[in-house]
Amino acid sequence: MSSFLKHRPSLPLWLGLLSIGVLIGVAGALNVLINGHAQVYNVTREVPWGILIATYVFLVVSSTGLCLLSSLGHVFGIEKFEFIGKRAIILAIITLLCGFGAIGMEINHPIRLAIYAIISPNFTSAIWWMGTLYGLYLVLLSGELYFLMKGMHKGAFTMGMLGFIAAVSAHSNLGAVFGLLEARPFWHGSFLPIYFILSALVSGGAIVSLIVYFNYKQSGTPIPQKYEAFFDTLGRLQTLFLMVLVFFVIWKIIPGIYGHPPEKYEATMAMLTGPLAFNFWFFEVLLGLLIPITLLINPRTRTPMGVMWAGISATVGIFFMRYDLVIGGQLVSMRAGTADLRDGLLHYVPSITEFAIVIGAISTCLLLYTLAEKFLPLDADEH
Amino acid sequence: MKNKRFAIVLDTKRCIDCKACTVACKTENHVPLGTDNYRNWVGPEPLRGTYPNLGQTFTPSQCQHCSNPPCEHVCPTGATTVTPDGIVHVIEHKCIGCKYCMTACPYDARYYNEEIEAVDKCTFCSQRIYGENGQLPACVETCPTKVRVFGDLNDPNSDVSKLLAKHPSRVLKPAQGTKPNLYYLI
Repeated sequence: MSSFLKHRPSLPLWLGLLSIGVLIGVAGALNVLINGHAQVYNVTREVPWGILIATYVFLVVSSTGLCLLSSLGHVFGIEKFEFIGKRAIILAIITLLCGFGAIGMEINHPIRLAIYAIISPNFTSAIWWMGTLYGLYLVLLSGELYFLMKGMHKGAFTMGMLGFIAAVSAHSNLGAVFGLLEARPFWHGSFLPIYFILSALVSGGAIVSLIVYFNYKQSGTPIPQKYEAFFDTLGRLQTLFLMVLVFFVIWKIIPGIYGHPPEKYEATMAMLTGPLAFNFWFFEVLLGLLIPITLLINPRTRTPMGVMWAGISATVGIFFMRYDLVIGGQLVSMRAGTADLRDGLLHYVPSITEFAIVIGAISTCLLLYTLAEKFLPLDADEH
Repeated sequence: MKNKRFAIVLDTKRCIDCKACTVACKTENHVPLGTDNYRNWVGPEPLRGTYPNLGQTFTPSQCQHCSNPPCEHVCPTGATTVTPDGIVHVIEHKCIGCKYCMTACPYDARYYNEEIEAVDKCTFCSQRIYGENGQLPACVETCPTKVRVFGDLNDPNSDVSKLLAKHPSRVLKPAQGTKPNLYYLI
Protein backbone atom coordinates (compact mmCIF):
# COMPACT_ATOMS: atom_id res chain seq x y z
CA MET A 1 0.00 0.00 0.00
CA SER A 2 2.74 2.47 0.94
CA SER A 3 4.63 1.97 -2.32
CA PHE A 4 1.31 2.19 -4.12
CA LEU A 5 0.68 5.57 -2.56
CA LYS A 6 4.23 6.74 -3.24
CA HIS A 7 3.76 6.16 -6.94
CA ARG A 8 0.34 7.73 -6.86
CA PRO A 9 0.56 10.76 -4.60
CA SER A 10 -2.77 12.14 -5.78
CA LEU A 11 -4.64 8.90 -5.10
CA PRO A 12 -5.79 9.75 -1.53
CA LEU A 13 -7.08 13.09 -2.78
CA TRP A 14 -8.85 11.38 -5.70
CA LEU A 15 -10.43 8.76 -3.41
CA GLY A 16 -11.41 11.50 -0.95
CA LEU A 17 -13.14 13.53 -3.66
CA LEU A 18 -14.97 10.49 -4.99
CA SER A 19 -16.08 9.52 -1.48
CA ILE A 20 -17.54 12.99 -1.01
CA GLY A 21 -19.34 12.57 -4.36
CA VAL A 22 -20.75 9.21 -3.24
CA LEU A 23 -21.90 10.74 0.06
CA ILE A 24 -23.65 13.57 -1.83
CA GLY A 25 -25.44 10.88 -3.85
CA VAL A 26 -26.40 8.96 -0.70
CA ALA A 27 -27.78 12.17 0.83
CA GLY A 28 -29.84 12.75 -2.32
CA ALA A 29 -31.14 9.18 -2.30
CA LEU A 30 -32.11 9.44 1.38
CA ASN A 31 -33.90 12.69 0.67
CA VAL A 32 -36.00 10.89 -1.97
CA LEU A 33 -36.73 7.93 0.30
CA ILE A 34 -37.79 10.19 3.18
CA ASN A 35 -39.70 12.92 1.33
CA GLY A 36 -40.91 11.19 -1.83
CA HIS A 37 -40.18 11.78 -5.49
CA ALA A 38 -42.76 14.52 -6.04
CA GLN A 39 -41.36 16.70 -3.26
CA VAL A 40 -37.69 16.60 -4.21
CA TYR A 41 -37.61 16.12 -8.00
CA ASN A 42 -38.42 18.78 -10.57
CA VAL A 43 -39.95 16.37 -13.07
CA THR A 44 -43.59 17.12 -13.81
CA ARG A 45 -46.65 15.60 -15.37
CA GLU A 46 -45.60 16.94 -18.76
CA VAL A 47 -41.84 16.48 -18.43
CA PRO A 48 -41.86 13.16 -16.53
CA TRP A 49 -38.31 12.09 -17.45
CA GLY A 50 -35.52 14.23 -16.04
CA ILE A 51 -31.76 14.30 -15.65
CA LEU A 52 -31.72 10.87 -13.96
CA ILE A 53 -33.02 9.22 -17.13
CA ALA A 54 -30.42 11.19 -19.11
CA THR A 55 -27.71 9.99 -16.69
CA TYR A 56 -28.95 6.43 -17.02
CA VAL A 57 -28.74 6.70 -20.79
CA PHE A 58 -25.27 8.26 -20.56
CA LEU A 59 -23.98 5.48 -18.30
CA VAL A 60 -25.41 2.60 -20.29
CA VAL A 61 -24.18 4.16 -23.54
CA SER A 62 -20.74 4.21 -21.92
CA SER A 63 -21.14 0.57 -20.92
CA THR A 64 -22.15 -0.47 -24.42
CA GLY A 65 -19.33 1.56 -25.94
CA LEU A 66 -16.75 -0.06 -23.68
CA CYS A 67 -18.08 -3.50 -24.56
CA LEU A 68 -17.98 -2.74 -28.29
CA LEU A 69 -14.45 -1.31 -28.12
CA SER A 70 -13.14 -4.22 -26.06
CA SER A 71 -14.72 -6.67 -28.51
CA LEU A 72 -12.49 -5.17 -31.23
CA GLY A 73 -9.67 -6.97 -29.42
CA HIS A 74 -10.81 -10.30 -28.06
CA VAL A 75 -13.75 -10.92 -30.42
CA PHE A 76 -12.66 -9.41 -33.71
CA GLY A 77 -9.00 -10.13 -33.16
CA ILE A 78 -7.54 -6.65 -33.68
CA GLU A 79 -4.38 -7.24 -31.69
CA LYS A 80 -3.75 -3.67 -30.61
CA PHE A 81 -7.05 -3.64 -28.71
CA GLU A 82 -6.63 -6.90 -26.86
CA PHE A 83 -4.95 -5.50 -23.79
CA ILE A 84 -7.87 -3.20 -22.89
CA GLY A 85 -10.21 -6.21 -22.46
CA LYS A 86 -10.38 -6.62 -18.70
CA ARG A 87 -10.42 -2.93 -17.84
CA ALA A 88 -13.04 -2.14 -20.45
CA ILE A 89 -15.28 -5.01 -19.34
CA ILE A 90 -14.96 -4.17 -15.64
CA LEU A 91 -15.83 -0.55 -16.32
CA ALA A 92 -18.68 -1.67 -18.60
CA ILE A 93 -20.14 -3.66 -15.69
CA ILE A 94 -19.67 -0.76 -13.27
CA THR A 95 -21.20 1.87 -15.56
CA LEU A 96 -24.14 -0.44 -16.27
CA LEU A 97 -24.79 -1.00 -12.55
CA CYS A 98 -24.51 2.73 -11.78
CA GLY A 99 -26.88 3.38 -14.69
CA PHE A 100 -29.37 0.95 -13.14
CA GLY A 101 -28.90 2.87 -9.88
CA ALA A 102 -29.75 6.18 -11.57
CA ILE A 103 -32.91 4.85 -13.23
CA GLY A 104 -33.80 3.01 -10.03
CA MET A 105 -33.92 6.36 -8.27
CA GLU A 106 -36.04 7.88 -11.04
CA ILE A 107 -38.77 5.24 -11.19
CA ASN A 108 -41.07 5.07 -8.22
CA HIS A 109 -41.19 1.31 -7.60
CA PRO A 110 -38.06 -0.55 -8.74
CA ILE A 111 -39.05 -3.54 -6.59
CA ARG A 112 -42.40 -3.84 -8.33
CA LEU A 113 -40.47 -3.78 -11.59
CA ALA A 114 -38.42 -6.79 -10.52
CA ILE A 115 -41.58 -8.71 -9.59
CA TYR A 116 -44.05 -7.77 -12.31
CA ALA A 117 -41.57 -7.73 -15.18
CA ILE A 118 -41.37 -11.47 -14.54
CA ILE A 119 -44.91 -12.46 -13.55
CA SER A 120 -46.74 -9.92 -15.71
CA PRO A 121 -44.53 -9.12 -18.70
CA ASN A 122 -45.75 -6.96 -21.57
CA PHE A 123 -43.83 -8.02 -24.66
CA THR A 124 -44.87 -4.94 -26.64
CA SER A 125 -43.09 -2.66 -24.16
CA ALA A 126 -39.64 -1.41 -25.13
CA ILE A 127 -38.91 -0.82 -21.43
CA TRP A 128 -39.64 -4.49 -20.71
CA TRP A 129 -37.17 -5.46 -23.44
CA MET A 130 -34.71 -2.90 -22.14
CA GLY A 131 -34.71 -4.48 -18.68
CA THR A 132 -34.50 -8.00 -20.05
CA LEU A 133 -31.77 -7.34 -22.60
CA TYR A 134 -29.63 -5.29 -20.22
CA GLY A 135 -30.08 -8.00 -17.59
CA LEU A 136 -28.84 -10.57 -20.09
CA TYR A 137 -26.03 -8.24 -21.12
CA LEU A 138 -24.93 -7.90 -17.48
CA VAL A 139 -24.80 -11.69 -17.09
CA LEU A 140 -22.73 -12.06 -20.28
CA LEU A 141 -20.34 -9.26 -19.29
CA SER A 142 -19.83 -10.90 -15.91
CA GLY A 143 -19.13 -14.23 -17.60
CA GLU A 144 -16.73 -12.58 -19.99
CA LEU A 145 -14.87 -10.92 -17.13
CA TYR A 146 -14.67 -14.24 -15.28
CA PHE A 147 -13.09 -15.99 -18.27
CA LEU A 148 -10.74 -13.06 -18.91
CA MET A 149 -9.58 -13.05 -15.31
CA LYS A 150 -9.06 -16.82 -15.41
CA GLY A 151 -7.19 -16.49 -18.70
CA MET A 152 -9.65 -18.82 -20.45
CA HIS A 153 -9.58 -17.34 -23.93
CA LYS A 154 -12.06 -19.61 -25.63
CA GLY A 155 -14.70 -18.90 -22.97
CA ALA A 156 -13.90 -15.19 -23.11
CA PHE A 157 -14.29 -15.22 -26.88
CA THR A 158 -17.68 -16.98 -26.74
CA MET A 159 -18.95 -14.72 -23.98
CA GLY A 160 -17.49 -11.71 -25.75
CA MET A 161 -19.29 -12.61 -28.97
CA LEU A 162 -22.61 -13.14 -27.16
CA GLY A 163 -21.97 -9.98 -25.12
CA PHE A 164 -21.39 -8.03 -28.32
CA ILE A 165 -24.74 -9.22 -29.72
CA ALA A 166 -26.49 -8.46 -26.42
CA ALA A 167 -24.87 -5.01 -26.26
CA VAL A 168 -26.04 -4.07 -29.74
CA SER A 169 -29.54 -5.49 -29.15
CA ALA A 170 -29.97 -3.89 -25.73
CA HIS A 171 -28.62 -0.56 -26.81
CA SER A 172 -30.48 -0.18 -30.05
CA ASN A 173 -33.57 -1.19 -28.09
CA LEU A 174 -32.84 1.66 -25.67
CA GLY A 175 -33.01 3.96 -28.68
CA ALA A 176 -36.35 2.32 -29.46
CA VAL A 177 -37.66 3.20 -25.96
CA PHE A 178 -37.71 6.74 -27.34
CA GLY A 179 -38.03 5.94 -31.04
CA LEU A 180 -41.27 3.98 -30.70
CA LEU A 181 -43.19 6.90 -29.19
CA GLU A 182 -45.34 8.22 -31.98
CA ALA A 183 -46.59 10.95 -29.65
CA ARG A 184 -43.09 12.50 -29.60
CA PRO A 185 -42.09 13.50 -33.14
CA PHE A 186 -38.62 14.61 -31.98
CA TRP A 187 -37.87 11.01 -30.95
CA HIS A 188 -40.11 8.94 -33.17
CA GLY A 189 -38.64 6.82 -35.93
CA SER A 190 -35.76 4.47 -36.64
CA PHE A 191 -33.10 7.16 -36.23
CA LEU A 192 -32.51 6.82 -32.49
CA PRO A 193 -31.81 3.04 -32.32
CA ILE A 194 -29.12 3.46 -34.98
CA TYR A 195 -27.78 6.70 -33.55
CA PHE A 196 -27.45 5.11 -30.11
CA ILE A 197 -25.12 2.41 -31.42
CA LEU A 198 -22.92 4.94 -33.18
CA SER A 199 -22.75 7.28 -30.20
CA ALA A 200 -21.87 4.28 -28.02
CA LEU A 201 -18.76 3.79 -30.16
CA VAL A 202 -17.80 7.43 -29.60
CA SER A 203 -18.40 7.06 -25.84
CA GLY A 204 -16.44 3.82 -25.72
CA GLY A 205 -13.51 5.26 -27.66
CA ALA A 206 -13.36 8.31 -25.40
CA ILE A 207 -13.49 6.31 -22.17
CA VAL A 208 -10.97 3.71 -23.33
CA SER A 209 -8.51 6.54 -24.02
CA LEU A 210 -9.00 7.77 -20.44
CA ILE A 211 -8.61 4.31 -18.91
CA VAL A 212 -5.36 3.59 -20.72
CA TYR A 213 -3.90 7.06 -20.31
CA PHE A 214 -4.54 7.45 -16.59
CA ASN A 215 -3.48 3.91 -15.83
CA TYR A 216 0.04 4.69 -17.07
CA LYS A 217 0.10 8.32 -16.05
CA GLN A 218 -0.86 7.53 -12.47
CA SER A 219 1.53 4.61 -12.12
CA GLY A 220 4.34 7.11 -12.60
CA THR A 221 5.90 5.08 -15.41
CA PRO A 222 6.30 6.50 -18.90
CA ILE A 223 3.86 5.24 -21.48
CA PRO A 224 5.45 2.29 -23.31
CA GLN A 225 6.11 2.55 -27.00
CA LYS A 226 3.41 0.07 -27.99
CA TYR A 227 0.77 2.18 -26.24
CA GLU A 228 1.93 5.27 -28.11
CA ALA A 229 1.04 3.34 -31.24
CA PHE A 230 -2.23 2.26 -29.65
CA PHE A 231 -3.18 5.88 -28.95
CA ASP A 232 -2.42 6.79 -32.53
CA THR A 233 -4.72 4.03 -33.82
CA LEU A 234 -7.42 4.82 -31.25
CA GLY A 235 -7.17 8.49 -32.17
CA ARG A 236 -7.69 7.75 -35.87
CA LEU A 237 -10.60 5.41 -35.13
CA GLN A 238 -12.18 7.98 -32.82
CA THR A 239 -11.86 10.63 -35.56
CA LEU A 240 -13.85 8.38 -37.85
CA PHE A 241 -16.53 7.75 -35.18
CA LEU A 242 -16.79 11.49 -34.47
CA MET A 243 -17.03 12.41 -38.14
CA VAL A 244 -19.88 9.95 -38.59
CA LEU A 245 -21.51 11.42 -35.48
CA VAL A 246 -21.30 14.92 -37.01
CA PHE A 247 -23.12 13.55 -40.03
CA PHE A 248 -25.79 12.08 -37.72
CA VAL A 249 -26.21 15.36 -35.82
CA ILE A 250 -26.61 17.35 -39.05
CA TRP A 251 -29.18 14.93 -40.43
CA LYS A 252 -31.08 14.94 -37.15
CA ILE A 253 -31.40 18.71 -37.38
CA ILE A 254 -32.27 19.27 -41.04
CA PRO A 255 -35.47 17.17 -41.12
CA GLY A 256 -36.37 18.83 -37.80
CA ILE A 257 -36.47 22.30 -39.29
CA TYR A 258 -37.15 21.75 -43.00
CA GLY A 259 -40.75 22.69 -43.68
CA HIS A 260 -41.40 23.27 -39.96
CA PRO A 261 -42.78 19.78 -39.15
CA PRO A 262 -45.20 20.20 -36.24
CA GLU A 263 -43.75 19.57 -32.77
CA LYS A 264 -40.46 18.29 -34.21
CA TYR A 265 -39.63 21.80 -35.34
CA GLU A 266 -40.31 23.34 -31.92
CA ALA A 267 -38.17 20.70 -30.19
CA THR A 268 -35.33 21.12 -32.69
CA MET A 269 -35.44 24.90 -32.31
CA ALA A 270 -35.36 24.48 -28.52
CA MET A 271 -31.90 23.01 -29.12
CA LEU A 272 -30.73 25.45 -31.77
CA THR A 273 -31.94 28.75 -30.35
CA GLY A 274 -34.11 27.94 -27.32
CA PRO A 275 -33.55 26.83 -23.72
CA LEU A 276 -31.17 24.01 -24.71
CA ALA A 277 -29.10 26.15 -27.10
CA PHE A 278 -26.13 26.69 -24.78
CA ASN A 279 -25.99 22.98 -24.01
CA PHE A 280 -26.15 22.20 -27.69
CA TRP A 281 -23.64 24.68 -29.13
CA PHE A 282 -21.16 24.80 -26.28
CA PHE A 283 -21.24 21.29 -24.86
CA GLU A 284 -22.48 19.10 -27.71
CA VAL A 285 -20.94 20.82 -30.69
CA LEU A 286 -17.82 22.48 -29.28
CA LEU A 287 -16.76 20.09 -26.49
CA GLY A 288 -18.41 16.96 -27.84
CA LEU A 289 -17.40 17.23 -31.50
CA LEU A 290 -15.22 20.13 -32.66
CA ILE A 291 -12.51 20.09 -29.98
CA PRO A 292 -12.01 16.29 -30.08
CA ILE A 293 -11.98 16.24 -33.87
CA THR A 294 -9.47 19.10 -34.00
CA LEU A 295 -7.19 17.35 -31.51
CA LEU A 296 -7.45 13.97 -33.17
CA ILE A 297 -7.20 14.92 -36.82
CA ASN A 298 -3.86 16.68 -36.42
CA PRO A 299 -0.94 14.21 -36.13
CA ARG A 300 0.93 16.65 -33.87
CA THR A 301 -1.85 16.64 -31.25
CA ARG A 302 -2.75 12.96 -31.72
CA THR A 303 -0.38 12.14 -28.87
CA PRO A 304 -1.44 10.06 -25.86
CA MET A 305 -2.15 13.30 -24.00
CA GLY A 306 -4.06 14.80 -26.95
CA VAL A 307 -6.18 11.67 -27.32
CA MET A 308 -6.87 11.76 -23.58
CA TRP A 309 -8.00 15.42 -23.70
CA ALA A 310 -10.17 14.64 -26.71
CA GLY A 311 -11.64 11.79 -24.65
CA ILE A 312 -12.50 14.03 -21.68
CA SER A 313 -13.96 16.71 -23.94
CA ALA A 314 -16.07 14.19 -25.89
CA THR A 315 -17.31 12.48 -22.71
CA VAL A 316 -18.53 15.78 -21.24
CA GLY A 317 -20.14 16.66 -24.58
CA ILE A 318 -21.84 13.27 -24.78
CA PHE A 319 -23.43 13.73 -21.34
CA PHE A 320 -25.12 16.86 -22.67
CA MET A 321 -26.15 15.04 -25.85
CA ARG A 322 -28.08 12.58 -23.65
CA TYR A 323 -29.58 15.34 -21.54
CA ASP A 324 -30.71 17.43 -24.50
CA LEU A 325 -32.14 14.38 -26.26
CA VAL A 326 -34.18 13.26 -23.25
CA ILE A 327 -35.40 16.72 -22.20
CA GLY A 328 -35.76 18.16 -25.71
CA GLY A 329 -38.23 15.45 -26.68
CA GLN A 330 -40.56 16.48 -23.88
CA LEU A 331 -40.54 20.27 -24.10
CA VAL A 332 -43.42 20.51 -26.56
CA SER A 333 -46.75 20.31 -24.75
CA MET A 334 -49.06 17.50 -25.79
CA ARG A 335 -52.17 19.68 -25.71
CA ALA A 336 -53.31 23.24 -26.17
CA GLY A 337 -53.94 25.46 -23.22
CA THR A 338 -51.28 24.18 -20.84
CA ALA A 339 -50.48 26.92 -18.37
CA ASP A 340 -46.94 27.99 -17.54
CA LEU A 341 -45.36 27.79 -20.97
CA ARG A 342 -42.25 29.88 -21.62
CA ASP A 343 -41.91 30.95 -25.24
CA GLY A 344 -44.36 28.22 -26.14
CA LEU A 345 -42.35 25.46 -24.45
CA LEU A 346 -42.54 23.53 -21.22
CA HIS A 347 -39.51 23.85 -18.97
CA TYR A 348 -37.44 21.70 -16.69
CA VAL A 349 -34.41 22.41 -14.54
CA PRO A 350 -33.05 19.56 -12.38
CA SER A 351 -33.50 19.92 -8.62
CA ILE A 352 -30.59 19.87 -6.15
CA THR A 353 -31.54 16.31 -5.19
CA GLU A 354 -31.49 15.23 -8.82
CA PHE A 355 -28.04 16.80 -9.25
CA ALA A 356 -26.88 15.09 -6.06
CA ILE A 357 -27.91 11.67 -7.35
CA VAL A 358 -26.19 12.30 -10.68
CA ILE A 359 -22.97 13.26 -8.84
CA GLY A 360 -23.39 10.16 -6.67
CA ALA A 361 -23.87 7.81 -9.63
CA ILE A 362 -20.84 9.12 -11.53
CA SER A 363 -18.66 9.22 -8.39
CA THR A 364 -19.65 5.65 -7.52
CA CYS A 365 -18.61 4.58 -11.00
CA LEU A 366 -15.21 6.21 -10.74
CA LEU A 367 -14.66 5.00 -7.17
CA LEU A 368 -15.51 1.39 -7.98
CA TYR A 369 -13.26 1.48 -11.01
CA THR A 370 -10.38 2.99 -9.03
CA LEU A 371 -10.78 0.24 -6.44
CA ALA A 372 -10.95 -2.44 -9.14
CA GLU A 373 -7.76 -1.04 -10.64
CA LYS A 374 -6.10 -1.20 -7.24
CA PHE A 375 -7.25 -4.63 -6.07
CA LEU A 376 -7.70 -6.75 -9.19
CA PRO A 377 -4.86 -8.13 -11.30
CA LEU A 378 -5.75 -6.33 -14.51
CA ASP A 379 -2.32 -6.34 -16.09
CA ALA A 380 -1.51 -10.05 -15.94
CA ASP A 381 -1.90 -12.26 -19.01
CA GLU A 382 -2.40 -9.70 -21.68
CA HIS A 383 -3.03 -11.90 -24.67
CA MET B 1 -74.26 -10.18 -23.81
CA LYS B 2 -72.39 -7.88 -26.13
CA ASN B 3 -69.70 -5.72 -24.52
CA LYS B 4 -70.21 -2.02 -24.24
CA ARG B 5 -68.04 0.57 -25.96
CA PHE B 6 -68.16 3.51 -23.62
CA ALA B 7 -67.60 6.98 -25.05
CA ILE B 8 -68.24 10.64 -24.33
CA VAL B 9 -69.57 13.09 -26.90
CA LEU B 10 -68.83 16.76 -26.21
CA ASP B 11 -70.51 19.84 -27.55
CA THR B 12 -67.82 22.42 -26.87
CA LYS B 13 -69.97 25.34 -27.99
CA ARG B 14 -71.80 24.94 -24.70
CA CYS B 15 -68.66 25.05 -22.52
CA ILE B 16 -68.43 28.12 -20.26
CA ASP B 17 -65.01 27.26 -18.75
CA CYS B 18 -66.43 26.94 -15.23
CA LYS B 19 -64.22 23.92 -14.52
CA ALA B 20 -66.93 22.20 -12.50
CA CYS B 21 -65.99 18.96 -14.29
CA THR B 22 -62.45 19.16 -12.91
CA VAL B 23 -63.68 19.92 -9.40
CA ALA B 24 -66.25 17.11 -9.49
CA CYS B 25 -63.67 14.67 -10.82
CA LYS B 26 -61.08 15.56 -8.20
CA THR B 27 -63.64 15.14 -5.41
CA GLU B 28 -65.21 11.94 -6.71
CA ASN B 29 -61.90 10.24 -7.47
CA HIS B 30 -59.85 11.48 -4.50
CA VAL B 31 -57.35 13.21 -6.77
CA PRO B 32 -54.65 14.74 -4.52
CA LEU B 33 -54.13 18.49 -4.29
CA GLY B 34 -51.42 19.99 -6.47
CA THR B 35 -51.24 21.68 -9.83
CA ASP B 36 -50.02 18.55 -11.64
CA ASN B 37 -52.78 16.34 -10.28
CA TYR B 38 -55.93 16.15 -12.37
CA ARG B 39 -57.73 13.63 -14.54
CA ASN B 40 -59.59 16.13 -16.70
CA TRP B 41 -59.23 19.79 -17.61
CA VAL B 42 -60.69 22.62 -19.67
CA GLY B 43 -58.35 23.84 -22.38
CA PRO B 44 -58.84 27.41 -23.59
CA GLU B 45 -58.65 27.76 -27.37
CA PRO B 46 -56.88 30.87 -28.74
CA LEU B 47 -58.88 34.08 -28.87
CA ARG B 48 -60.43 34.69 -32.28
CA GLY B 49 -60.80 38.00 -34.08
CA THR B 50 -59.95 41.55 -33.04
CA TYR B 51 -61.78 43.84 -30.61
CA PRO B 52 -64.73 44.32 -30.61
CA ASN B 53 -65.36 41.23 -32.72
CA LEU B 54 -64.03 38.51 -30.48
CA GLY B 55 -64.77 34.88 -29.87
CA GLN B 56 -63.38 32.03 -27.83
CA THR B 57 -64.25 28.42 -27.20
CA PHE B 58 -63.05 25.99 -24.59
CA THR B 59 -62.19 22.35 -25.07
CA PRO B 60 -62.71 20.15 -22.03
CA SER B 61 -60.68 16.98 -22.25
CA GLN B 62 -59.31 13.94 -20.44
CA CYS B 63 -58.20 10.39 -21.27
CA GLN B 64 -59.59 9.50 -24.70
CA HIS B 65 -59.99 5.79 -23.81
CA CYS B 66 -58.40 5.01 -27.14
CA SER B 67 -59.28 1.83 -28.99
CA ASN B 68 -55.57 1.61 -29.87
CA PRO B 69 -53.99 2.97 -26.69
CA PRO B 70 -50.22 3.68 -26.83
CA CYS B 71 -50.07 3.73 -23.02
CA GLU B 72 -51.11 0.09 -22.94
CA HIS B 73 -48.52 -0.90 -25.54
CA VAL B 74 -45.60 0.66 -23.67
CA CYS B 75 -46.38 -0.39 -20.08
CA PRO B 76 -43.64 -2.89 -19.14
CA THR B 77 -45.70 -4.78 -16.55
CA GLY B 78 -49.17 -4.66 -18.07
CA ALA B 79 -50.28 -2.28 -15.32
CA THR B 80 -52.18 -0.28 -17.93
CA THR B 81 -54.92 -2.42 -19.37
CA VAL B 82 -58.29 -2.14 -21.06
CA THR B 83 -61.57 -3.59 -19.80
CA PRO B 84 -63.89 -5.46 -22.20
CA ASP B 85 -66.06 -2.32 -22.18
CA GLY B 86 -63.15 -0.23 -23.47
CA ILE B 87 -62.10 1.54 -20.27
CA VAL B 88 -58.32 2.14 -20.18
CA HIS B 89 -57.20 1.89 -16.56
CA VAL B 90 -54.17 1.28 -14.32
CA ILE B 91 -53.81 -1.72 -12.01
CA GLU B 92 -52.18 0.20 -9.18
CA HIS B 93 -50.11 -2.53 -7.55
CA LYS B 94 -48.44 -3.39 -10.88
CA CYS B 95 -47.40 0.20 -11.68
CA ILE B 96 -43.64 0.68 -11.33
CA GLY B 97 -43.76 4.44 -11.82
CA CYS B 98 -41.50 4.47 -14.89
CA LYS B 99 -43.83 7.05 -16.47
CA TYR B 100 -43.39 5.56 -19.93
CA CYS B 101 -47.18 5.78 -20.38
CA MET B 102 -47.00 9.49 -19.58
CA THR B 103 -44.46 10.07 -22.35
CA ALA B 104 -46.40 7.82 -24.74
CA CYS B 105 -49.80 9.47 -24.29
CA PRO B 106 -50.37 12.14 -26.95
CA TYR B 107 -53.12 13.73 -24.81
CA ASP B 108 -51.29 14.35 -21.50
CA ALA B 109 -54.06 12.38 -19.79
CA ARG B 110 -51.98 10.87 -17.00
CA TYR B 111 -50.22 11.95 -13.81
CA TYR B 112 -48.38 10.18 -11.03
CA ASN B 113 -50.52 9.96 -7.89
CA GLU B 114 -48.30 9.94 -4.80
CA GLU B 115 -51.18 8.84 -2.57
CA ILE B 116 -52.06 5.65 -4.42
CA GLU B 117 -48.41 5.26 -5.50
CA ALA B 118 -49.27 4.67 -9.14
CA VAL B 119 -50.00 6.53 -12.34
CA ASP B 120 -53.61 7.68 -12.29
CA LYS B 121 -56.09 8.67 -14.99
CA CYS B 122 -59.76 8.89 -15.91
CA THR B 123 -61.70 5.62 -15.53
CA PHE B 124 -65.03 7.03 -16.75
CA CYS B 125 -65.84 6.91 -13.00
CA SER B 126 -66.20 3.11 -13.23
CA GLN B 127 -67.19 3.02 -9.53
CA ARG B 128 -70.26 5.07 -10.50
CA ILE B 129 -71.22 3.61 -13.86
CA TYR B 130 -71.00 0.01 -12.63
CA GLY B 131 -72.40 0.97 -9.20
CA GLU B 132 -75.85 -0.06 -7.91
CA ASN B 133 -77.62 2.99 -9.26
CA GLY B 134 -75.72 3.10 -12.55
CA GLN B 135 -74.77 6.74 -12.19
CA LEU B 136 -73.10 8.89 -14.84
CA PRO B 137 -69.42 9.89 -14.57
CA ALA B 138 -69.06 12.84 -12.17
CA CYS B 139 -67.92 15.28 -14.88
CA VAL B 140 -70.95 14.43 -17.02
CA GLU B 141 -73.42 14.71 -14.17
CA THR B 142 -72.11 18.01 -12.83
CA CYS B 143 -71.75 19.96 -16.11
CA PRO B 144 -74.20 22.89 -15.86
CA THR B 145 -74.53 23.36 -19.62
CA LYS B 146 -74.55 19.65 -20.52
CA VAL B 147 -71.42 19.77 -22.68
CA ARG B 148 -70.77 16.08 -22.08
CA VAL B 149 -72.94 13.09 -22.96
CA PHE B 150 -71.82 9.65 -21.82
CA GLY B 151 -72.97 6.32 -23.20
CA ASP B 152 -72.42 3.09 -25.11
CA LEU B 153 -71.50 3.30 -28.79
CA ASN B 154 -72.44 -0.36 -29.26
CA ASP B 155 -76.07 0.53 -28.48
CA PRO B 156 -77.53 2.30 -31.55
CA ASN B 157 -80.25 3.83 -29.38
CA SER B 158 -77.91 5.39 -26.81
CA ASP B 159 -77.64 9.16 -26.62
CA VAL B 160 -74.03 9.10 -27.81
CA SER B 161 -74.85 6.96 -30.85
CA LYS B 162 -77.75 9.21 -31.78
CA LEU B 163 -75.69 12.39 -31.40
CA LEU B 164 -72.91 11.01 -33.58
CA ALA B 165 -75.47 9.90 -36.17
CA LYS B 166 -77.07 13.31 -36.27
CA HIS B 167 -74.00 15.60 -36.12
CA PRO B 168 -70.55 15.57 -37.69
CA SER B 169 -67.80 15.22 -35.16
CA ARG B 170 -64.03 15.14 -34.78
CA VAL B 171 -61.53 13.41 -32.52
CA LEU B 172 -58.25 14.83 -31.18
CA LYS B 173 -55.02 14.04 -33.04
CA PRO B 174 -56.51 11.44 -35.40
CA ALA B 175 -53.16 11.11 -37.20
CA GLN B 176 -51.75 9.40 -34.11
CA GLY B 177 -53.82 6.36 -34.99
CA THR B 178 -54.98 6.00 -31.39
CA LYS B 179 -58.70 5.77 -32.30
CA PRO B 180 -59.99 7.97 -29.47
CA ASN B 181 -63.45 7.54 -27.94
CA LEU B 182 -64.04 11.16 -27.04
CA TYR B 183 -65.95 12.81 -29.85
CA TYR B 184 -66.22 16.57 -30.31
CA LEU B 185 -69.27 17.80 -32.21
CA ILE B 186 -68.44 20.21 -35.00
